[in-house]
Amino acid sequence: MIIYLIVLFAVTLIYLASAERLLNYVRLIAIQGLLLCGIALLELKDVNTANLVFIVAETLLFKTLLIPYLLSAIIGKSGVTKVHRQAIPGFYLLLFSIGAMLLSVVLANSLINPFINTIYMTIALYTLFTGLLLIVTHRLIISHLIGFLIIENAVFIFSLAVGSEMPMLINIGILLDIFVGVLILGFFGLRLKPNTNELTMLKD
Amino acid sequence: MTGLFLIFISAIVFPGIIIRTKSIASGRKGPGILQPVKDVRVLLGKGSVFSDTTGLVFRIAPAISLSAIVTATLLIPFGNMKSVISFEGDFIFFSYMLALGKFFSIISALDTGSSFEGMGANREAFFSMLVEPAFFILMATLAMFTGYTSFSDIFTGFFITGNHYVLIYSLIGLYLFIQIAIIENSRVPVDDPKTHLELTMIHEVMILDNSGFDKALIHIAGWLKFALYGALIFNLAVPSGWNVFLQVALFLSIMAAFAVIVGLVESFRARNKMNKNPKFILTLSAIALIAFLVVLIVTEKFIL
Repeated sequence: MIIYLIVLFAVTLIYLASAERLLNYVRLIAIQGLLLCGIALLELKDVNTANLVFIVAETLLFKTLLIPYLLSAIIGKSGVTKVHRQAIPGFYLLLFSIGAMLLSVVLANSLINPFINTIYMTIALYTLFTGLLLIVTHRLIISHLIGFLIIENAVFIFSLAVGSEMPMLINIGILLDIFVGVLILGFFGLRLKPNTNELTMLKD
Repeated sequence: MTGLFLIFISAIVFPGIIIRTKSIASGRKGPGILQPVKDVRVLLGKGSVFSDTTGLVFRIAPAISLSAIVTATLLIPFGNMKSVISFEGDFIFFSYMLALGKFFSIISALDTGSSFEGMGANREAFFSMLVEPAFFILMATLAMFTGYTSFSDIFTGFFITGNHYVLIYSLIGLYLFIQIAIIENSRVPVDDPKTHLELTMIHEVMILDNSGFDKALIHIAGWLKFALYGALIFNLAVPSGWNVFLQVALFLSIMAAFAVIVGLVESFRARNKMNKNPKFILTLSAIALIAFLVVLIVTEKFIL
């Protein structure tokens, strides 16, 4: 069952590379959160109740509901609905994404050892590369935030790749990063929009 | 032969079901299911008119395209029954038969000397080039999964491998075959067959100079192509060991469902901007690649 969810997760990464509307990014991020919840629940069999509640809260509440809601609110307020026209066209980004997929398979298989699950490692590396590609090739700050969230998902899968125990500290770290990122962007998006439209399109 | 007969039968009603679905979805009374057949019968009764600028290639291209597709039809199995022609690596021959048909359509469009048809031919070649990797990667996935390289063996062995990952390849395969069929036949969202003449950008523009008998051959080739992919979808969705009568019923149902899906897509979805099409088509190759990599990793055949 896990393999089905992982394949679906990989498909969302392909659509992330080819999407151009910001709301599509948000939907894909929400779907990824849902898939991560399923993967974590199926993978972590011997987990205590507190950790289980935390994982469900983190993936379902934050990754699937809260963050997509905040992002769509920012998009709605800022009025920017598509990626910047100077961003690299989706066709080339998709080609890079396919290259990243192949690179991830090669890298994950060169790191084979009994403590690392190869499939998780592959998908985690591919997720990481996709997040980095989005950040490097897009110009809008909101695209960068989405790339950042994808990298957070990659770290989440990395933690599954290295063992069935998910250290609580990593969880809290991930959660804090996401929360701070969204808060800052929410602040920028909401505060700067009434004065000028240009600032929402600033390069980093 | 049963499969061949069923493919020809479903090819005849396929365009009619699409048109009927579109008319129902848009609230019109619309033509009957056999209207396209009646139109083609009228065309077959007419002679062809050739422009002075065209040569031999333009005259023979429709017949070669149709015969290439009929040859490809002979390679498709039905359930446990082998196809009329079956040999190791026949899916490559299948793909090249379709490519041969397309090649003749393209050079016949170029033979007219019209820059407009040249534009359509250019796009047809480009989109076919992009969709081909998706087909080959998908077939390579199925070949690696089952251990066979001919259509008949692949589809017979597909459901008896006992591997519980079969559903992944089946679902991805169904999705990809539907999309590839839509692209190969230049339907929405890649191209819109409703926008005849000037507005049409890919397939229809290439056949502007064809008329009468030749045009009828081109239409029949298009129907057969849809039925071909429908048969591939059937083989990927229905285990080959099932009862023959059930399989026949399922074959016809799947064909009808496929035609309805195409009709609904054309009713409710707009055509892509032309510059978005390459990205749309490349996405299919990327999804096929995922299936391929999953097979590599799951069967531990990845050697570094």
